[in-house]
Amino acid sequence: MTPLQFEAQYQSEWDELQSLLTRLRVGVRKSDTPVSGERLASLYRRACEQLALARARSYPAHIVERLNQLTADAHQVIYQRQEFGFGRLKKMVAVDFPHAVRAHAAYVWLSAAVFLVPMIALGLLVYFNPELILSMVDPATAAQFERMYSDDTEAIGRLRDAGSDWAMFGFYIQHNIGISFQCFASGLFAGIGSLFFLAFNGAFLGGIAGYLTERGLSSTFYSFVVTHGAFELTAIVLSGAAGLRIGHALISPGRRSRREALVVAARESIVIVYGVAGLLLIAAAVEAFWSSARWIPLSLKYGVAAACWIMVLGYLWRQGRHAS
Amino acid sequence: MNKDVLDTVVSAETPEGIGIELRPAGLSSRCFAYLLDLLIRLGVVYAVAMVVAIMGRFGLGLLMILAFALEWFYPVAFELSRWGATPGKRALGIKVVMDNGLPITPAASITRNLLRAADFLPAFYAFGVASMLVRGDFKRLGDVAANTLVVYQPAPAPKVNIDDLEPLAPIRPLQPQDQAAVVALAARAPRLTRERLDELAALAAWVSGDMGRSGPDVTRRVLAVAQWLLGKR
Repeated sequence: MTPLQFEAQYQSEWDELQSLLTRLRVGVRKSDTPVSGERLASLYRRACEQLALARARSYPAHIVERLNQLTADAHQVIYQRQEFGFGRLKKMVAVDFPHAVRAHAAYVWLSAAVFLVPMIALGLLVYFNPELILSMVDPATAAQFERMYSDDTEAIGRLRDAGSDWAMFGFYIQHNIGISFQCFASGLFAGIGSLFFLAFNGAFLGGIAGYLTERGLSSTFYSFVVTHGAFELTAIVLSGAAGLRIGHALISPGRRSRREALVVAARESIVIVYGVAGLLLIAAAVEAFWSSARWIPLSLKYGVAAACWIMVLGYLWRQGRHAS
Repeated sequence: MNKDVLDTVVSAETPEGIGIELRPAGLSSRCFAYLLDLLIRLGVVYAVAMVVAIMGRFGLGLLMILAFALEWFYPVAFELSRWGATPGKRALGIKVVMDNGLPITPAASITRNLLRAADFLPAFYAFGVASMLVRGDFKRLGDVAANTLVVYQPAPAPKVNIDDLEPLAPIRPLQPQDQAAVVALAARAPRLTRERLDELAALAAWVSGDMGRSGPDVTRRVLAVAQWLLGKR
């Protein structure tokens, strides 16, 4: 069969496949007959066959290219994967996320240690030597933190209007989720980036806490941070753990090639990052609308905070255990 | 494909046993696509800022949420659309696919876009650029981890258009790759200068029995062989 005969014989099939693909791409109008999946699949398989033939027979470039293009387009449409939907989200919350966290338990513990040890160390150091705070931040910032948690009208816990709450909500989302994404992504550099972000954030937080406690502002400060901390501190530790997993895959790929190990590590640890984003959304909402509300009695705040901590840790520890 | 040929093409195989050729997009087109997307994002933020300015602090909150969503999820949303590309990429004729030529999965899209933060370090996407320049398939770090590839949307090859020539049989049966080369020359003929066409045709002159000679007549005879190979008799 010559190329011209080949082209003449199958031209109509190619045109039909092409028009089906175009209709799928621009969307089917109601007046048209719906695109038949069966017809599309069979045309696709025939085009694959013809492409193989055309290649084996070294037919001219324009025929091979046309078939190449057709099969590539149809391939994209036919193998499109749909991973969205409510069912998928539910499974992510109920099983996949807590399961992924437990599967990375070693990284989570390491990450927690790298976060908590500098936090406690700096907290104690600054509490007993308050002037150390000045080697962490400049005096103006220290004074600003003190003012934020003090009892005067500029304090963070003042009665704000709803608009300000929303502004803070937006700020917390942008700032905190961005930081934790960075903490994860920088794990790509052999885990060093994640370790740095964890230790730095831990030390900073510890230093501020130690300083404010020493200044006698502990009731304002702790009642502010303790509730959303259940979500936010957990999220930072988890995103660090996901970053460490990636870094570890690069340092010690085991029996895989480094690249393959990285791909597997990214695929498994990205599930944790989904959950982290969810936790941080909750944290931002709590921080903006609940933590800052000063009219709520302290005992209620501590009670809710304790419930939140138990809920989050219990969720990560037990949820979805029997499902997988 | 011969490994020694200097080419960036990546071959992927479908379940139907067909190899699909993917042409990875290089640094410059991806750079322009990024800049276009950046302009679009800034434009959207600016436009929304104009509108929400009247809403005060509440509007500020909305604006920050929008800026956050655009920064991290603008590419994800567009890559998962039916085009597989952000508007900037679409303007440059490139799109994101999986390594194996399949459409990008949501997990891969989120992975590659979150890891953009690593590509950005230490400043202005230095690591991402370095990775793209070092690798033959121009992947940035996020692409490596997510198993994705940014490829050109191929333009269809020009149709061979030499209807006015009388077909001429080659002096002996040709190997498939020789046939392909002669026909490809015919396909390129309209886009070449006459001198360059003569030069190239001289390389293939043996198919019409004109080995060692060159000139417009030889060229015409080589193209006539191409006509014969296409099936004209």
